[in-house]
Amino acid sequence: MTRCAVFAVLLALPLAAQVRFEDIRKGEGANWLTYSGDYASRRHSPLKQIDVSNAANLTAKWTYHVEGSRRLETTPLVYDGVMYITGTNEVHAIDARTGRRIWIYHDDQSRHQGVNRGVALLGNRVFFVTSDAHLFALDRRTGGVLWQTEYASADKGYGATLAPLALKDRVIVGVGGGDGGVRGFVSAFSAATGEQLWRHWTIPARGEPGSESWGDFPAAYAGAATWMTGSYDPELNLLYWQTGNPWPDLYGKPRTGDNLYTDSIVALDADTGNMKWYFQFTPHDTHDWDAQSIPVLVDMNYQGRMRKLLLHPNRNGFFYVLDRTDGKFLSATRMADKMNWASGIDAKGRPVVIPDTDPTRAGRLVCPSKRGAANWMSPSFDPATGLLFVPMFEQCDVYTTTETVPEPGKGLDGGGADELPSDPGQGFLRAIDPKTGERRWSYAMTGPTTMWAGAVSTAGGVVFFGDDEGQLIAVDARTGRTLWHYNMGQNLTASPITFSVDGKQYVSIAAATDVFTFGLFDGAAN
Amino acid sequence: MRYVLIGLCVASCAVFAQRRQRDFSPNPLARNPAAVAAGQKLFTNACGGCHGMAGEGARGPNLADGVRIRRSGARQLFNVVKQGVPGSDMPAFNLPDEKIWQVLAFVQSLSAPAIENPAPGDAEAGRQLFFGSAGCAHCHAVLGQGGFLGPDLSNAGEAHSVKQLRQALLDTKSHSIAGWEGATVVTTRGETIAGVARNHTNYSIQLVDAKGDLHLLTMDQVRHIAWHDGSIMPADYAARLTKVEIENVLAYLSRRAVRPEAPITAANAPMQGRPPE
Repeated sequence: MTRCAVFAVLLALPLAAQVRFEDIRKGEGANWLTYSGDYASRRHSPLKQIDVSNAANLTAKWTYHVEGSRRLETTPLVYDGVMYITGTNEVHAIDARTGRRIWIYHDDQSRHQGVNRGVALLGNRVFFVTSDAHLFALDRRTGGVLWQTEYASADKGYGATLAPLALKDRVIVGVGGGDGGVRGFVSAFSAATGEQLWRHWTIPARGEPGSESWGDFPAAYAGAATWMTGSYDPELNLLYWQTGNPWPDLYGKPRTGDNLYTDSIVALDADTGNMKWYFQFTPHDTHDWDAQSIPVLVDMNYQGRMRKLLLHPNRNGFFYVLDRTDGKFLSATRMADKMNWASGIDAKGRPVVIPDTDPTRAGRLVCPSKRGAANWMSPSFDPATGLLFVPMFEQCDVYTTTETVPEPGKGLDGGGADELPSDPGQGFLRAIDPKTGERRWSYAMTGPTTMWAGAVSTAGGVVFFGDDEGQLIAVDARTGRTLWHYNMGQNLTASPITFSVDGKQYVSIAAATDVFTFGLFDGAAN
Repeated sequence: MRYVLIGLCVASCAVFAQRRQRDFSPNPLARNPAAVAAGQKLFTNACGGCHGMAGEGARGPNLADGVRIRRSGARQLFNVVKQGVPGSDMPAFNLPDEKIWQVLAFVQSLSAPAIENPAPGDAEAGRQLFFGSAGCAHCHAVLGQGGFLGPDLSNAGEAHSVKQLRQALLDTKSHSIAGWEGATVVTTRGETIAGVARNHTNYSIQLVDAKGDLHLLTMDQVRHIAWHDGSIMPADYAARLTKVEIENVLAYLSRRAVRPEAPITAANAPMQGRPPE
């Protein structure tokens, strides 16, 4: 018997559990298995151990420091007691009860050092993207590499920040770089091998439908980046992916027309990548109003009949409701109070643009700001109240344009935008009734308008969200009344989640340099 | 069952903070054989007195440890030579820029990743040994093939120099076992779990067993822990394998790289400024 033979004396343990497509499809439970909680991106947990009556007793459980980080944007995933987070070009697996690291994988060769928003899980695999658009598959248990593939070229200005979306046998990813002149796309890769299964370009090639909306502008630089995780309807087998702005962001003259399919939701067949429909929110955008807010898929009685809806609070200041089976526009209501670029949305869903609201060389004050009303901060939808909780801003910017087309791939967007120092804007969490667009309540934040934090709602009637002062806040979903708050002292650029291990409910959020986890006070454990 | 190369990841795990702000401006003479040779002469005369003739360290730091140099940007190293390190014994060297780059070409060659100058053995024979009679794959994995009790070696040739790989294989006392300590845990429920502790404190332990199953235990669930004495990596590979076999295993590991791609140069250096979205 060798000295190592003792390690062979193992119990007859069951095979390690694996994350199945069906598990993700069921939606939130004890685990948090995909970026937006479920494929519908509702970010609503059935957990109710923490509720309106006891949320005031929340206390810090552990803090996990990510060495070298400055701006964590990761949404943690949790499976089987293990939390997976990302930093810059790295993944950490953490004991979700204690905050102790299990493993870390760092890609030392990435040519970008950017932010990252999280992983995807499927089977025993963890998927993440590097800042220079390589997709990695790691072993969930050890962090060992299984495969990696470069899916876009950093040489051409591409990058990646999103959490991949895993479904069936595949992993879906998108790209960043739209502010520097790239051509966006969504791609599916085999989860087993890394083989590319399909690619859908979000800018049509010359001669393809939609290309007439560009004049002579070259598709290769036109934008429509896909830098956030989309949503998925398993019954319809449709992906709903958000697209970014046209390029140059703030100079529209050379790209005449609507600039399809920028600032849109594209509905893609998950098996083939073929586009079934699209809806464009901001035709011929000149304010960098990516449509990157997460599309929330809800089935509800709407205008007299049950419908499969897609809810979308948009960066341009309006809240949209679409029929997600065919993309039909159903309604748009004004979400932001500060709004001077459009007087409304017409019956076809097209904005009624107010003249002279494009950026100028001297600068023009336009609302919403470049940051937008909504943006990539995740909303949540609570079926009990029927409310959509939207983190957003009231803000205006002075928009300028260079009136030149910058050199592609250099990260330049053809202009600039800054808020007036005397009116820096303000963050809010707003509860919107999707049936009417009515604002039920509004939580006004204090702070410097630098947050990018989302929300999560629970069956306990509590909504958790990050505010603009580095605080995790718990409010009553029905009223917006504050139940609890905790100052982490760091700017928040990520969304909270909730999960349960060993029968205890936790709430976690990544702050700038640390992941904080909270639970109800437990005298024995504490 | 054999346990191989336990300590390989430890050094690299310790330097994440330093990697993040790497200056990717390359040494224009890196991997230029003539420059390396010229740099060695300069190094011997000007640097070896403090850093050791082979950069092994003496009064000055070790420059051949594969971490300090590889994780420093070329421009950063250049400035250290050119300007010295205030408050230390490292003086400024008033050398022409080209000669500084020559010195750095030599210094960088000391810790070049194995993939750039692989061990010269038979890599295919090494692969067969790794997954066969040498038993490496019982504990180590390469691209998902292999065990769970030792560091993943998919990127061994990119992450380590040949010297480091050799040392890890033949001198198990030379490296830290943090994150890979062998442990046999008896739980309060009477279960016995053997594996490696990826982490542990007085309050919890995070084990992975030979099947790859994770066991996350708080200490109120633990009755007893028996710790393995030292690394679970066998210490007798020098005797167990022939010299040729050792070279073949090293040749195989030298060529393991997750991202086998061109080194970073001025032409493909990353964009400046904020990364995309």
